[in-house]
Amino acid sequence: MNTGKEVLFEVNDLHVTFGKGKKAFEAVRGVTFQVHRGETFGIVGESGSGKTTIGRTIMRIYTPSQGNVIYKGEQISGKISKALDKKVIQEIQMIFQDPMASLNERAKVDYIVSEGLINLRGRSLKEKERQELVTKALEDVGLLPEFASRFPHEFSGGQRQRIGIARALIMEPECIIADEPISALDVSIRAQVLNLLADLQKEKGITYIFIAHDLSVMRYFTDRIAVLHKGKMVELADTEDLISHPAHPYTKALLSAIPMPDPIRERKKKLFVYDPGIHDYDRNPPKWTEIAPGHFLLANERELTEGFGQK
Amino acid sequence: MANELILSVKNLNVKFHLRGQELHAIRNVSLDIYRGESIAIVGESGSGKSVFTRTFMGLLDSNGYIPSGEILYFGNTATAGINLAKLKKERDWRAIRGGEIAMIMQDPMTSLNPLKSIGSQIAEAIRLHQSDIKGSAAINEKVIEYLREVGIPEPERRCRQYAHEFSGGMRQRVVIAIALACNPRILICDEPTTALDVTIQDQIIHLLKDLKEKYQLTIVFITHDLGVVANIADRVAVMYAGDFVEIGMAEEIFYDPRHPYTWALLSSLPQLGERGEKLFTIKGTPPNLFKEIKGDAFAPRNPRALKIDYIKEPPYFDVSPTHKAKTWLLDPRAPKVEPPEAIRNLKDLESVYG
Repeated sequence: MNTGKEVLFEVNDLHVTFGKGKKAFEAVRGVTFQVHRGETFGIVGESGSGKTTIGRTIMRIYTPSQGNVIYKGEQISGKISKALDKKVIQEIQMIFQDPMASLNERAKVDYIVSEGLINLRGRSLKEKERQELVTKALEDVGLLPEFASRFPHEFSGGQRQRIGIARALIMEPECIIADEPISALDVSIRAQVLNLLADLQKEKGITYIFIAHDLSVMRYFTDRIAVLHKGKMVELADTEDLISHPAHPYTKALLSAIPMPDPIRERKKKLFVYDPGIHDYDRNPPKWTEIAPGHFLLANERELTEGFGQK
Repeated sequence: MANELILSVKNLNVKFHLRGQELHAIRNVSLDIYRGESIAIVGESGSGKSVFTRTFMGLLDSNGYIPSGEILYFGNTATAGINLAKLKKERDWRAIRGGEIAMIMQDPMTSLNPLKSIGSQIAEAIRLHQSDIKGSAAINEKVIEYLREVGIPEPERRCRQYAHEFSGGMRQRVVIAIALACNPRILICDEPTTALDVTIQDQIIHLLKDLKEKYQLTIVFITHDLGVVANIADRVAVMYAGDFVEIGMAEEIFYDPRHPYTWALLSSLPQLGERGEKLFTIKGTPPNLFKEIKGDAFAPRNPRALKIDYIKEPPYFDVSPTHKAKTWLLDPRAPKVEPPEAIRNLKDLESVYG
């Protein structure tokens, strides 16, 4: 799926801090990565790792306290021109985790799907065109056009998530940030939503930044995966490489936690818990190092030579 | 596994009055649960798995009722064979709830009281259900013991804290501690890990397994995700549209599934997906339970349904003494249908994850 290596996003030494003074909390602590056009870039980590904060900072919902985000060669974090702001709103869209909470209960699907377009285009958007675009977006996600006149509560979880996707698609985005789009759904519905996202990428060449806590979905869906722990990126590699040759103990812990439908193996499985205490980073600070082509790891010199053992 | 019955459900029906109509949520279901086993009930949202287990505790919503069927409970010798389906009074239920059968809910964020310290919530359960422990010092000691048991560090300090001071995984541990403090015989876990991260999910499942051994619990584990139960379940019962379509030992369900719905549930797991290929999905939607279902409930969504599936409801066919499935495919006259390729070799998954 990786068409060439044109860089769409560049995130440089990103820091995001909440609160001020003594209460300040740094949720993202120096994250650097690039996203290529047309690829699916996965960000994985547990609750509180800062993965959602990164997604939201790219969306310009949060302002970085240090570092920047470059989109198509232009900086989009911090203060930017109105024209660029409009472009970013149209080209980068987001899908949220909980389809029960992310749709306006009082609005009809028709309005929910086209709200972004109305805001962007204002009076230049004619009613007939709007209706056509809504119909097309609903058809793209496998919903019937008549659903436009209904309210969100009339739909199941999977259908609601499709409405959320239609709302993003109508803007004809270049990139969609999907923040745990399937975590709140049943297993059988998950497969449907993942297939839909994969089809849309094939058809429209959309770039995805896919945020999740579950590596089993990642393995299936992404081209590259970045592993985030406590606001720091600890490993980044091509999906196959990361799954078959995980280097960081936290990546290994995440992999071992994937539940497999195999009772004999599962019962033998030993729980692998990552203990950050194994690092000796006070004396020997870690560096972001490329250990194999395209495979990055956060480790200090001792760990690079001896591996992640006890200090 | 000892073969001593602890709970026996016979021909249970549950209906709900809804908008002037009758919804037939549980359709003539029978299930035996044995002392000391862990049994997983697996199905999609709306299949009735939660409603089914709620009948064990008299927790049906007020518009729900049991028109027929029995739930026989053999937990303690004093009331052996009591029919839970006939219990009406709150006072009678109080003898069952907590002390005999306890429940862990899905969302630890909402099942704890935000205004009481977690220590006092555990103490409340001890006071109600373990009357041999008297005096606040002894109860307090017991509270700390339970917190330590479920893996909460510094229990002496943390028992004075409130729910908002705990992370999601830690909260679920507190909920488990409260359930344990009731000293139950059966522990119903209703999607206990759905709201949690995978790493935490793994830890909670290991914890439940350890506690089951230590306290000789019988565990009923409800989930929509077949992936998570391979570790904990001795037996698996697959529910579809208010009925069990397949019941068997975990090995039998995962390595030798026979019902097309079990095949479909297993195939749609993303763990089994191949990159670049489509994930398997189950077509269509579950049947409307307001209407009477004719034939096999899964037939309209089953691409390989037989003609008879639409006409006559299949009986259970025995695959082994512990394994039965409700599908006409097991009838000797049925054509031979192989399960989908993706799930034929679940034992060889190691090749995928190393």
